[in-house]
Formats: sequence, C-alpha cells, structure tokens
Amino acid sequence: NIIIIVIKRFAVIAKSQSITPESCEVRVYNEEVELEDRDPQQDYMLYKDTCADLAKLMAEIQELKSSGAKSVEIEERHRQCSVHFITLKKLNRLAHMRLKKGRDQTHEAKQRVDVLHLQLQNLLYEVMHLQKEISKCLEFKSQHEEIELVSEEEFFQEAPAEISRPHVTRDDNHQLTLARLDWELEQRKRLAEQYKMSLARKEKIQKAIEQKREYLSSLQPGLQNIMQASLPVQEYLSMPFEQMQKQAEVARHLPPPLYVLLVQAAAYGQACDKTLSVNISGDVDEAKALSRRPEDSQEDESDSDAEEEQQNTKRRRATVGVQLEDKRKAMLRRHPLSLCVDLKCKDGSVLHLFFYYLMNLNILTVKTKVSTATDLSGAVSAGELLNSESLLNCLYASDHGKETPNPANRYQFDKVGITTFADYVSDLGHPYVWVQKLGGLQFSSDGAQNVIFALSASHMEKTMKLLRGRLQARLALHKQFSSLEHSIIPVSSECQHLFPAKVVSGLTRWTMMSYQEFTHVLKAGLVCETDLFFMAVVERGTARLLAAVVLNPRYPEVMPLFSLSLHWKGERSGRTEDNLRAMESEVNVFRAELQGPRPGLQLLTNQIQRLCVCLDVYLETESQVCDGSEGPREFPREKMCLRTARGPSRLKPFKYNHPQGFFSHR
Amino acid sequence: MFISLQLLHMSVFSQSFSPCGRFLAAGNNYGEIAVFSLSAALSPDASEASQKPILNFTAHDGPVFSLLSTDTHLLSAGNGEISAWSWAELIKKVRISCSVNDNSLIVGGGDNNIHIMDMETGIFKSVLKGHTDYIHCLCFKEREEEILSGGEDGAVRIWDARTNRPVHCIEVFKYEECARPQFGKWISCLATDSDWMLCGGGPSLSLWHLRSMSPTSVFPLPGCQREAVFYQDLIMSVGEGPHVSHCLHGGTVKAQIPCTPSSLNTLALNLKNSEHRVMTVGGSSHQIDVFTNFSYRAFSLSF
Repeated sequence: NIIIIVIKRFAVIAKSQSITPESCEVRVYNEEVELEDRDPQQDYMLYKDTCADLAKLMAEIQELKSSGAKSVEIEERHRQCSVHFITLKKLNRLAHMRLKKGRDQTHEAKQRVDVLHLQLQNLLYEVMHLQKEISKCLEFKSQHEEIELVSEEEFFQEAPAEISRPHVTRDDNHQLTLARLDWELEQRKRLAEQYKMSLARKEKIQKAIEQKREYLSSLQPGLQNIMQASLPVQEYLSMPFEQMQKQAEVARHLPPPLYVLLVQAAAYGQACDKTLSVNISGDVDEAKALSRRPEDSQEDESDSDAEEEQQNTKRRRATVGVQLEDKRKAMLRRHPLSLCVDLKCKDGSVLHLFFYYLMNLNILTVKTKVSTATDLSGAVSAGELLNSESLLNCLYASDHGKETPNPANRYQFDKVGITTFADYVSDLGHPYVWVQKLGGLQFSSDGAQNVIFALSASHMEKTMKLLRGRLQARLALHKQFSSLEHSIIPVSSECQHLFPAKVVSGLTRWTMMSYQEFTHVLKAGLVCETDLFFMAVVERGTARLLAAVVLNPRYPEVMPLFSLSLHWKGERSGRTEDNLRAMESEVNVFRAELQGPRPGLQLLTNQIQRLCVCLDVYLETESQVCDGSEGPREFPREKMCLRTARGPSRLKPFKYNHPQGFFSHR
Repeated sequence: MFISLQLLHMSVFSQSFSPCGRFLAAGNNYGEIAVFSLSAALSPDASEASQKPILNFTAHDGPVFSLLSTDTHLLSAGNGEISAWSWAELIKKVRISCSVNDNSLIVGGGDNNIHIMDMETGIFKSVLKGHTDYIHCLCFKEREEEILSGGEDGAVRIWDARTNRPVHCIEVFKYEECARPQFGKWISCLATDSDWMLCGGGPSLSLWHLRSMSPTSVFPLPGCQREAVFYQDLIMSVGEGPHVSHCLHGGTVKAQIPCTPSSLNTLALNLKNSEHRVMTVGGSSHQIDVFTNFSYRAFSLSF
C-alpha cells in the first residue's frame, strides 16, 4: 500500500514538473499529451490483458495460500499484482481524460452551433419584421384618398395654372394628386367664407320676421272691437254670423247623431230648401257637464245600483219597485240638448220637428207639432189627421215608430224590465227608422253602430220632401174633411172633366170609424191598425150606399180603399154582387185618372165624387133591366149609355167619357 | 196575405182546355190570358208555384169574354177582335198569333148578329140576323147541324147551319114556369144534348125538349145562371152565388158545392184527358177553383 501511494505522488510531481518551463497559458497534464499518441483500442486490450493477469495471479495466490506455500512467492505475486493495479489505474486515468476531452470538444462545437442558430433566428425575425413593415406600407391609405376630389378633367379646366401646373402634373401622378389637393383646399376655404356670410343674412331676416309678428299680434284687440261694432250691421243685413258662430259653439256639445243631423239639415236648408231652419235648444251647461264625465256616469250608475241593491235587500222590499223605476228612468234619459227643425209651407203652416237623443239607448226620437197660419175649423172626423202622435206614421212604408230600431236595446230593456218601448213613446217621441238614418245611425243586424254622415245626407232630401208632402196632404185632407162633413164634395176645376155635369146622388154623411168596426167590413190583410177608417154615406132617393174607406197614413201615395154595400130593395155588397164589385173597382183602381193635378191631394174627393156618379148610373140602369111591369121608375134614365149590360155578368157602364158625356164599359 | 188591387178586382170570364187536356187557358177582365199547367197542378208534389200560370199575356184591350180551343189553336175573343193562338206555342210559353186552317167558326157578337167565319181564310161567310140585343151564348147541335143562340133580348133562336136561316125562336121569358121578371128576360146560358136543351139567365134554368119545344123541368136555383153543361146524367151550372149547382134531369137540385169566387162566370170540364179529368170554374175573383172530384173543391189556381 505504501508503495502504491508513493508511485501515485511521484506521477503527480512528474507531471507538474514537465509543464512549467513552457507555457503560462495552457496547463495540461503530461498524461494528456500522451493521450493523443495512444490508441484507445490498444488501451482497451491492455486493460483486458491486465485484468486477466490479475485474475490469474489471484488464483495462483489462492492456490499457494491454500497449499501453504512460502511467502516469497506470494510476495512476488503480490508485487506483480500491484504492478498490474498501477497499470489499471493509469488506464483508468487515461479513460477519464479521454472522456473529458471528448466532452469539451462537444461542448465547444455545441456552442458554436448555438451562436449560429441564434444569428439565424435574429435574421429571420428581422426578415419577418421587415416584411410586416412592407406590407403595412403597401396597405397604407392616406387620408387624402378619402377626400372626394373633383375629376381630373374638371380640375384641369377649373383650377388656375399655378395650382394645376399641367406640365408637371400630367406626367407625375404624385404631383397631380398634390395639386388636386391644393385646389380642393382652396375651394373649401372659399365656400367656408360664403357659408359664414349666409348665416349672417339669415339672422337678419329672422329678426325682421319677429318684428312683423309682434306688429300683427298687436292688431288683434283692434279687430275684436270692430267685430263687436258690426253686430248691429249684421242684423240689419240678415247675415247672422254671430248667431251661427254661437250655434256652432253650442253644437260642439251635441251628441254625435244630433250633430250629424244638425249639419246635414243646415246644409240641406242652405242648398236646396230656404224654408227649412234648424235650432238647438236645451241646457248647454248640463251638456257640458255630461261631456266632461262621459265614462264615469255609466259606471257610477251601475256601481251605485249594486250598492243600493245590497243595502235595500236588507231593509224593506217595497223600495225595489221604486228603484227599478229609477233605473228605467236612467236608461231612458234624454240628452239635455235637442234640435228643432222647422219646415215652412207656402200657405204659412209650419211643421215643427223636435229631435231628441236617448243616450243610453243610442237612438233618436222625434216629436212633432203643427202650427197653421189659419185656425183650422174643427172638422170632427179630422181629429186624427194632425194628431202629433200619428202624424208621421208610416212616412216610409211600415215605419211605425213604436219599437226601438236598435236591436241592442232589447237586452237593456230586459235588465230593467221594460217590455215594450211603445209605452214610453208618447213621452219620449217616436223612434222612426228615418230619424235614425238622418242622424247617421245605422243598426246592422250584428249590432254594430256607426255614425255615418253619408247615410244622413242620402236620406235628407227624400225625407224632407216626404215630411213636407205629409204635412200638406194632411192639411189638405183637413180642409176636405170639414167640407165633406157639410155634405159638400169639393171638386176642383181641374178635375171637373172626370165627372158629368149633373150628379144627383149626394154625400150625406162622413164620419170616422174605428179599426174594430172595420174588420167586419173588409178582409184583413189589406188594412192594418195604423190606417184611418171612415164611413161615407151616399144617398139618392130610397137608395143608400155605405162606403167604408181605409185611408193609409201614406196618402196620397197609397190609394184609399172603398168597400161598398147598398141598401135598396134589399142589401147587396161588393162581396156578393158583381156590379157593386165593379163600382169598387172603378173607384179603387184607377189612380192615374183620379189623382188630379200634382201632388195628387184631390184623390179622395175625386173618388167620392166618382162613387156618386157610379151610384147614379147603377140606379138608373137598374130599373132598365126589369120588364117595366112595376110602374113608374124611381130613377129615370138620364145618363147616356151605349149599352146597359155587357158580358156574362152583365156589368153596367161605369166609365165616363169626356167630353162626349156618355157612359161605356171599360 | 196581401193581394194587390188588380187581383182584388179581377174577374175570370172564360176558360178553355188545351186539345191534349193538360193545360187550361183562362181569360180575365183585364184582357189577359193565363195558361196553367194542369199536370203540374195535379201532380202529387204540386206546390204553390204550380198553381200559378206558366204563361200570362195580354191578348186584348178589353175583357176576354170567350175562349175556344180547336185541335191546334186557342181562339180568344176580345173587344171587336178574335185572335188565334197556337197551342203548341203557348205550351212552350211563347205566344204567337197566327191563322188557323180548320173549318168554320161561329161567332156571336155584341152587334146582335151571329157571324160565321171560314177559319182557313178568315173571311166571314155569312151573318145570321135576328136578335135584337147582344148575344150571350151559342151552341151547336152536330147531328142536325143547327146553331142555337141566346141573347139579351130573351130569345133563344135556332138556325140551320147549312142554309143559314132561322128555324125557331123561343122566347123563354114568355113561359110562366121559367120566367122571373124580377131578374129580367135575358138568356145567358145555353147547352144542348141531342134532343135536350138547357137555357137560363134572367128566367130560371130550365130543361127543354126540342122536339116539343116545351120546358120539361125548371130548376129552382136562386141566382141567374151563366153557364150550364150536361155531364153524364147530371146537369152542372154556375152563375150568381158562390157555388156550383148539380141538378138532375127531373128538376131537383142535388147539390150546391161552395167555391171561392162570389159569383161564377164560366165552368169547364176537361173531358179530353182522362188523367186530368177536372172541372174548373172561374168568376169574380182572381182564383180559379179546380174540382178533381166534382163534389168538392180541391184547390185553386191563381192569376
């Protein structure tokens, strides 16, 4: 062991000694120099050999030790082993040195590679950066491109030479663009100037306008004074502007149907009929109050009703009836404002129509009044003619005005226990269908109600004409009736040609009849309850002809119907005898002949006169038939007849021919 | 139901069945002729519409007092004119007036004379004068070729058709059994059946035996009869009063069947067609009563 250590140290010193004189820079072991000379493969073979020797020596030592040999041989072998160990150690050192060298070399190379790699990266990065910059530069849009420049031709035309510099710019695009930008700038500056000037002018004008406005508003009070002063002038000239304005003021509070009616009637009056005038009457303040709370009122009622009901059922039962009555009254409430339309006729009589609007039922009703210029003498039978209840009955066919035309009212009535509206008609007025139409109310079957102006306009003229016609017809009838009651049949001169000069039979009685009495006389189906019934008695000698007359409210549009029965030598009637039937036909059917001059108001009196003539013919020709064995005839033949009988039923000649004056068959 | 005034005052004066028996033509006082389809009205599924005319036209100015059917045509007489209408066209609801080619037509007129007209040429062949007032009714005895006429003057005159000369003149009102002076003397209905003759009007309806020229039975009917016919062994007559009277040859009134019109002017029997064998009557109403069983009214046709 001591020997080994010494050898090791010796190696070390030997190394260090060999180095010093030569280089200060590289300090390397001596053995490292040796490295370059020796071959690793050889060293490896040497290692192997040495190991093998060692193994062999160890085996020999082992043998010797076991066999108990001398220590000298063992020592020998020990020494050999040690030498081998030294060799091994050297080899180990060499190996380590080789390894280190290898590593250092690798390290160096790697470093070189790293440096290059880094350079490469840097360059690549720079390339990329530059590329980006290039692309950015290429994409760059200069703001100047957003400015809309005038086209090149225009530019060259308009711009002055200093700016356009065509000799330069025509070739060089860059210069051209610059020049154009310059020009643009010039122009913009100029326009900005102009703008400022315009603004300034506008301000001035504005101020002028303000001044004038003030002046005008200062005139207003002056005008008012003039209007006031002109009122007496208006009246004098009968151009009632003030009145119309006031009416318009009040009209604003009218419910829509009444308003429609007002507008249409006033328009019609102005345009076509100077004798028609419209007024509004009623309480304006109440109307204003109503219009202020239109929704509340209805809801209030129902709420308060509910409350009342609850309270009352706890108390006495008797109040229910009263409360129902109140509900009814509330339902049938009229709007406080109403319209009054006056139709004046030529003879001075006036038909006053009062139109009311029932708010909850949404219908219009009308009441009438007739005022005549002269006092109508009381003809007993004429009592019903001008009765305001029935005056406007059936103005249009079957428009009786007894029931409300609004189908929705049925449900409302059921709620408050009103069975028919007819009970209230005399109080509230008649809800005729034409009145609804004049107010623009149309009740279609699904209950939709619209206030339509066109509906009112289309009916206005016709209805007014009918109303006027109705009044005139009734007044004419009134006069005729008072004459008839005095047994005089008034035949005007225009109608004289219808009758022969001499008429012997005369009217002796003219009275009114009731519907019940009449149904016995004539089949129902031709008459209804709204008709007026009269009885005329025509007499000659012992013969008495009773004529039951049905007068439709729409006279003279609808002909009166006569039904005859003759009391002479027995009783015959139009139902049983053909000749009386022919007389009825003569009187009932020939309207065109009998109605006389327009408007045909002489129809009834002509019919009665014709009846007398027919009776004359009947009686005079009747005596002819028999064989003359009775003695003197009661009615001598005075009428000229071509033939007294014709046809199987041997009818008499009732047709009068003018001017020859004879009778013939039709 | 509302009837217009026209309908209320309408009277039916004449009727005639078509040659085939399926249609009825009726004339009224307004000069209109209405054609009704009997087959439609009599069919089991008839409705109200089938009781209305299939065709209604104005034929004349005045009332159509007389309608007569030949084999092909319907002749209508109005105020002074006679028109012929082709049945074939009427059934097709077209009305064309045209000439006929048949034998002769005997026309009794308001001018108190009987005219015989040749229907082929339309020329009046002869005139039979004798009556002093207008002629109500005419009938023809085929066997003896005699014409009987009754008029307002109360006389029934019998004429020979071949020689056109009067043969007899019976003044019915002079016979006490028949005369009814309270009504008058005119004769408004005439009918013959071989030797028998019915006549009535002012005088009561009476059955005469022509050989003996005397009345054999007088019928106690209240009103004046306007038309009477022989049917099998019955005599049916209509006139004033709303009924059809059935009488027997013996002189008894068997039945009086009520009708709609208040007085009747015309009675017609449809014997040409066995399927539609009906009796129709018309008078002072716009309705024509139809009797399928002659004993009661079945329904009414309406203008």
